[in-house]
Amino acid sequence: MPPGLVGVAPSLVWWHEYFNRATLEGVPMHIPDGFLATPVWAALDVTAVPAVGYLARRAQRGLEQSKVPLLGVMGAFVFAAQMINFPVGLGTSGHLVGAALLAYTLGPAAAGVVLTAILAVQALVFQDGGILSLGANIINMAVAGMLAGYLPFRLWGKGRRRREAIFLGGVLSVLTSALLALSELLLSGVAMPAAVLRISLGLFVVSAVLEGAITLAIMQALESINPDFIRDPQSHGGRAFSLVGMAALFVAVIGVAFASTHPDGIQKLADATGIASRAKALIAAPMADYQLGVWRSIWLRKAGAGLAGLGLIFGACLVCGRLLARQRGT
Amino acid sequence: MHHVVLDRWSRGSSPLHRRDARAKIVAALVFLIVLATAHRSFIPLAFAYFAILIAAGFVAGLPVFAVLKRAAVVLPFTAVFAAISVAAGEPMRAAVLVVKSYLSALAVLILVSTTPLPELLRGLECMGVPRYLLMVIQFLHRYLFVISEEAQHMCVAAQTKSGSMRRSLFHGSRFNAAAGALSVLFARSYGHAEGVYQAMLARGFQGHFRTFANPVFRKADAVFVLAALAVLAGVRLVLEVWS
Repeated sequence: MPPGLVGVAPSLVWWHEYFNRATLEGVPMHIPDGFLATPVWAALDVTAVPAVGYLARRAQRGLEQSKVPLLGVMGAFVFAAQMINFPVGLGTSGHLVGAALLAYTLGPAAAGVVLTAILAVQALVFQDGGILSLGANIINMAVAGMLAGYLPFRLWGKGRRRREAIFLGGVLSVLTSALLALSELLLSGVAMPAAVLRISLGLFVVSAVLEGAITLAIMQALESINPDFIRDPQSHGGRAFSLVGMAALFVAVIGVAFASTHPDGIQKLADATGIASRAKALIAAPMADYQLGVWRSIWLRKAGAGLAGLGLIFGACLVCGRLLARQRGT
Repeated sequence: MHHVVLDRWSRGSSPLHRRDARAKIVAALVFLIVLATAHRSFIPLAFAYFAILIAAGFVAGLPVFAVLKRAAVVLPFTAVFAAISVAAGEPMRAAVLVVKSYLSALAVLILVSTTPLPELLRGLECMGVPRYLLMVIQFLHRYLFVISEEAQHMCVAAQTKSGSMRRSLFHGSRFNAAAGALSVLFARSYGHAEGVYQAMLARGFQGHFRTFANPVFRKADAVFVLAALAVLAGVRLVLEVWS
């Protein structure tokens, strides 16, 4: 092969992989850099750092040392799983996203660490998702999505409704991360006409249902191979994780409803509570005069206020979770 | 495959390759933040930063055209949103979206193609990222290709036995076959991990990876960080004041 082609062939493979994946997912999951407004990515990065630190410590405490390679190899498994297509009809197919499956098999803390590692590798090695927006992607998928997916399994994973719980978990994991990503983009001022918004919401629901079905099918197959693969829903993740999962679900639904139906609603809320003016004073004061102009633009203020709220809620959930976990002595 | 390309690029010996990983991480972060927060006189700024990145690519001895092409993987995602922005009557925002995401991806690509991944992770560890997470990332990267190959073998095996796994009509049985294949892949990955851990124990693993030498932050690295900071912030300030 001439040397030129040696370079072309892999990039063709890569392009093919990219389009394949992009069309399959149909949802913007990994936000690249340049999309989120500064207050949005900054707030989410600041939130993601303690969240990941907590998950890593908890995973390390909960698992014996021999599990370190296991987590890495399971991350590789989720990557590789995207190569196996699930036919869903009309010439389309989907693939596993895996947040819920990882939470069921490794426990929520370890699943969060694995998903964070996947996002980091995707951002660094594959340029899929940004570095500044890594915090947003981690919060969306590895923390909020994963915990929202784990929630039904933890609540009903042992009873008669086990199958439904597994399915629902898969659905919620994808839906929550997609809705959060969407509301972050909307908050950042990315233009999205109502028609586009409706189409993307429809796509989210389809891919979420697909993820639920795939997760359920794999869980059933896994149980027939070795029931030990699946963790006991009661043994992992105290009330803390359930609380954060519920809050994530809540924020995802409210966030999109709010950001899409009331484009000015965030502004009004900010004015009413005074967050915007306070944030403006807080951030503008130490800066040089020419920066003030930036804060006059409405969308930035809107984004700042909305994300400050989002960040506060997540922060509060994390703090509550830690306090609860400590109280229970786990 | 493309990841091998990245591995090869990162093992060069240019002045940029020789810098400490921490210096390069800080410089890349400064670039991303200065670019992300830029609003005024954006077009000349974008050209200036593009020129800086190309210059960095030449200094590092990277095949610049191939690097530019690889960074374009962000464009399909961006193009969708840019098209929506144009349709919504905001062509300038669309342009900013495309340029910002492309330049950011290019900067990260230059960082990872001048720093081998183990060194990069070691640098991150020195900067306070949890070691546990970094070990998981390292294992993930090492076994990514082993497990992917296994998945590929399974796809080929399924195709030889049953035509294609991507048939157009819905078949519950095909769906379940795919689920079965994935659960077998899961079980094999699980088994791999146990084998890997036994092998590590046999070679004296004591809870963390050892590297040949601790990274040293030299004077040249400090100069590099300061120069990057001065150039990136300076260019932006000059352009903003000038306009």
